[in-house]
Amino acid sequence: MSNQTKRKEVNMFDFSLLFIVLFLLCFGLVMIYSVSSYEASMRFGDAAYFLKSQLLATGLGLVLMIVIANIKYPFWEKFATLAFVISHVLVLLVLSPLGIERNNARRWLDIFGTSLQPAEVAKLGIILFMASFICKIGTKNIGTLKGFLTVLIMPLPLCFIVWQITTNLSSAIIIFGIVLLMLFVASPKYKHFIVAGVVGMVVVMIIVFVIINVAASDNLGFRSERVLAWLDPEAYAQGRGFQTLQALYAIGSGGFFGKGLGQSMQKLGFLPEAQNDMIFSIISEELGLFGAIAIILMFMLLVWRFMYVAREADLFGTLLVVGVMGHIVIQVIINIGVVTNLIPNTGITLPFISYGGSSVTFLLIEIGLVLSVAKFGKQIAVEKEQNAV
Amino acid sequence: MKKANRQKRRKDKYQLNMKLSILVGVVFVAFLVLAIQLYLITRDSGDQYRRQVLAQQRYDSTIIPYRRGAILDSRGTTLAVSEKVYNVILDTRALLDRRDNLEPTLAALDAHFNLDIEMIRTFISNNPSSQYHVLLRRLTYDEIAGFRALQTDRENNPNIRGIWFEEEYRRYYPNGSLASHIIGFTTSDNQGLYGLERSYNEVLSGTSGREYGFLNNESELERTTIAAIDGNSIVTTIDSNIQAIAEKYLRNFDEEYRDNHREGSGAQNIGVIIMEVNTGNVLAMANYPHFDLNDIRNTDALIGMQMLDADGTRTLPSTAINAENLLTMQTDQINMNLNALWRNFAISDTFEPGSVIKPFTVAAGIESGSITGNEHYRCEGKLDVGDFTIHCNNIYGHGDVSVGRGVEISCNVAMMRVAMNIGRNTYVDFQHIFNFGLRTNIDLEGEARTAALVYNRSNMRITELATCSFGQGFNTTMIQVITAFCSLINGGNYYEPRLVRQIVSPTGATVANIEPRLLKQTISPLTSDIVRAYCVSAVVGEEGTGHSARPYGYIIGGKTGTAEMIPRDKTNYVLSFIGFAPADDPQIAIYVVVDRPNVRQQHSARYATQIVKNILTEVLPYLNIYMTEELTEAQMAALAELQREILSPILKLNDDEEPDDENGDIDDTPALPPHIEVWRDFPIDAATGYAIDPNTGEYVDPVTGATIGGSFQSVGFDVLPPVGGIDDEPP
Repeated sequence: MSNQTKRKEVNMFDFSLLFIVLFLLCFGLVMIYSVSSYEASMRFGDAAYFLKSQLLATGLGLVLMIVIANIKYPFWEKFATLAFVISHVLVLLVLSPLGIERNNARRWLDIFGTSLQPAEVAKLGIILFMASFICKIGTKNIGTLKGFLTVLIMPLPLCFIVWQITTNLSSAIIIFGIVLLMLFVASPKYKHFIVAGVVGMVVVMIIVFVIINVAASDNLGFRSERVLAWLDPEAYAQGRGFQTLQALYAIGSGGFFGKGLGQSMQKLGFLPEAQNDMIFSIISEELGLFGAIAIILMFMLLVWRFMYVAREADLFGTLLVVGVMGHIVIQVIINIGVVTNLIPNTGITLPFISYGGSSVTFLLIEIGLVLSVAKFGKQIAVEKEQNAV
Repeated sequence: MKKANRQKRRKDKYQLNMKLSILVGVVFVAFLVLAIQLYLITRDSGDQYRRQVLAQQRYDSTIIPYRRGAILDSRGTTLAVSEKVYNVILDTRALLDRRDNLEPTLAALDAHFNLDIEMIRTFISNNPSSQYHVLLRRLTYDEIAGFRALQTDRENNPNIRGIWFEEEYRRYYPNGSLASHIIGFTTSDNQGLYGLERSYNEVLSGTSGREYGFLNNESELERTTIAAIDGNSIVTTIDSNIQAIAEKYLRNFDEEYRDNHREGSGAQNIGVIIMEVNTGNVLAMANYPHFDLNDIRNTDALIGMQMLDADGTRTLPSTAINAENLLTMQTDQINMNLNALWRNFAISDTFEPGSVIKPFTVAAGIESGSITGNEHYRCEGKLDVGDFTIHCNNIYGHGDVSVGRGVEISCNVAMMRVAMNIGRNTYVDFQHIFNFGLRTNIDLEGEARTAALVYNRSNMRITELATCSFGQGFNTTMIQVITAFCSLINGGNYYEPRLVRQIVSPTGATVANIEPRLLKQTISPLTSDIVRAYCVSAVVGEEGTGHSARPYGYIIGGKTGTAEMIPRDKTNYVLSFIGFAPADDPQIAIYVVVDRPNVRQQHSARYATQIVKNILTEVLPYLNIYMTEELTEAQMAALAELQREILSPILKLNDDEEPDDENGDIDDTPALPPHIEVWRDFPIDAATGYAIDPNTGEYVDPVTGATIGGSFQSVGFDVLPPVGGIDDEPP
């Protein structure tokens, strides 16, 4: 009897996590409509153009999420290697005629009439693969330098092709960042990470220093210019710094409580396609500091729930959750960092809120995995414990 | 072992959770940093950024075009109208938003418009972010209707994107060249340049509307639309049927005499004005050559005109413009010649009016009391005036000439004698009374100033007085002569000539009625009656010079004019006829001027009277003016033939006017008094058909005795140079 009750308890659905995700999704849809209606009606004669297409992707994602949440996650471990391979293949397919070019970047695939961003698939693929890979190596081996390096080398080819083929450095960094966070949690050591962190910071500082000093000589490429625009956006107000500066204007002009929902002026042509990367600045403008910090709190709450889910599960489940958490957290930090000019401008969407079909669908698939871990993690951990015994 | 294992696992789990907590902690710190940064931006730069956002708002506004008012004729026929037209605009950004849009959109464009699709493809790939590119200009609604239907059918064609239509108005003249000089035209942005389009530009123009955004008190962006106010329409006094009849006979004349004597058009200029005698309403005003208002820069219309040099002058002997030398002309020269083409001869060009002035001279004499009308003069064929001898048109003398007969046979000597009786000062005063030297203020742009082209009290001498009496030595415009002539025959009422009688709002309501404007009384009704009778005798009298102007079945009055141009070398003439109809109750006046017809011997008013006759033959019945005279069978046959031609334009009969010559019509030779018929015995020159004066060797008209080639070859008096005249440069 007591065993049965326990079983039921274990298989509870994590509704608080689900609620947070649904809240962010709904909030995102409202904001997409608010931000994009002007541009959509100007360009397509339909104010809800972006909203409709986002609703479709969200609906598809929610269905997939529910399905995956009810499948025991160890089921996916078999497909880890396959997912890893598919991720590479999809990125390479961008070079084929299936690839679509938009805004001068070839980042999309045309699959049965819908466009798909392979980088989003790659993020899911790498989470699944690395979780399985780390489990195979075992926590003990990971602690060694060899294990540490092996794990870090695994995602590099994927990062490289994402960077080079889809010219999407930010996605490459995110993929690598996800692996690094998973490795950090899995490894019993600290030393490697402290060393790696110090080395990384020094390298970044040197790069920035070099760019500043050779700024006089031209032909630096657009990434270097972005760094310069980041350091002094006003000096590049009409060029690289334009978007950042307009985002700052939006945030600054919002004040504490904002101009009110739908009242943004910056979305009227000054922040082009603000529904994508710059949506957070419009949220700040319309809902003020209050609304912006409320969103950050929602993400904190989400991370907090992730931590709880991760704690209860076995190693594979934990790593899955950490991977998904890493994915979301890195994107949130980079996105808000960009609009507040804490880091150089790069195109990263705000999870659940920004416009982008592939992004929201695959994020919801990842949330489905986390919900599955929440539901079955404890049970599976106990079973493994018992088996081990 | 098992215990150690379990412990190890527990330790692992603890470590894992520890790391997880550390990670979450780091993440929370990062979020905190972001929140602090947000706060700092708001605190430190909030005010500055708020101002910046307001400052960079572009209150983007779009102009809504107004519709320019129409120009209607007196019966409501549209002469000029503004049509809504559509520019096809390509918005590449919207088109490329979805990959599937490109091909269906291009296919639809290809199917409905005459476009180079490959060029567009290249443009799109080169300018992926372009939002405004004009593909086609000024298409009519019908031309875009097909594409629009496809585009709006979103169900079946969801992928036709990035094409929109910008609205605009285009000025369109449904009748092409009809009344081209009166109507004038506009610039492409609807500003009137010539003719009524210019003189009524402010009435026709509306006010553009505007759609714009602004910031209200709460700093919210609001959008407002101010609708465009369309321009008012004008109803002209022109009757397009009469205008078309007049233009038809000008064209016929041109066709008949084109390349006749020398290369070029039938005459250098031909002008017709038909005016209502009792209102000053202009019913028709036509010039030849004319031009197509919908294609004003078409150089084909220039062919036949006397060419202007690049500096705007005409070197004599001038050459006619033809297809070959048109190709060698520079843009400036072409523009110069186009300006000459667009010039309204009837109001802008001045010339010596010639004998049509004789009724004015007589009227001035009677009105001033200088003559009674019962005087008789002896015409010896010449008169010695001052240091000069001035000849009559019949150098052998008309014999005894009464005042009335002086008008009838156009005797220069009689007129000079009348003018002598009037005296210089009174004659100058009467020229002013008849408005010569002053503008008529007709409501058209470009009326010539003639103040310097008439004599005043201080510079008119006896010889000038003498020549002025028969219309040489001073210059007038056509509109001046006919306006004054109307007052001469309507009882002395001088009406301001006008072309517009009503202003109508876009909804059809009358904004203003423009009433006829009586300016002054030139002569008394009594004098008017006498002069009118003289003019009738000039057409129907036995010796009248204007027989050939008379349409079958009607009695009209009028006066011919044959003015020799400077230099007085008996080669270049301005031929004219001014008349009114019907004779007993004048309704309309008509004035036809043929400037240098393209014939070897220009000296015959017949070139003008023929046109008058043809026009009146059609216009008088059209105006419901009934015939008063019986027709001969030949005349009825001729009219029936004309009717057939009018009713069936396909059956074009070129010789419709021939029969009347052969059948000896009313315009036939009058018998002249025998005692002065010396020229009757002159030998006839076989080549020309004229008689030759054995004493002088000059050609003489075997019927009238008039010397071919002018009436005062020995006169060497000063003549004021014509300004804006026939040989003058364009504006």
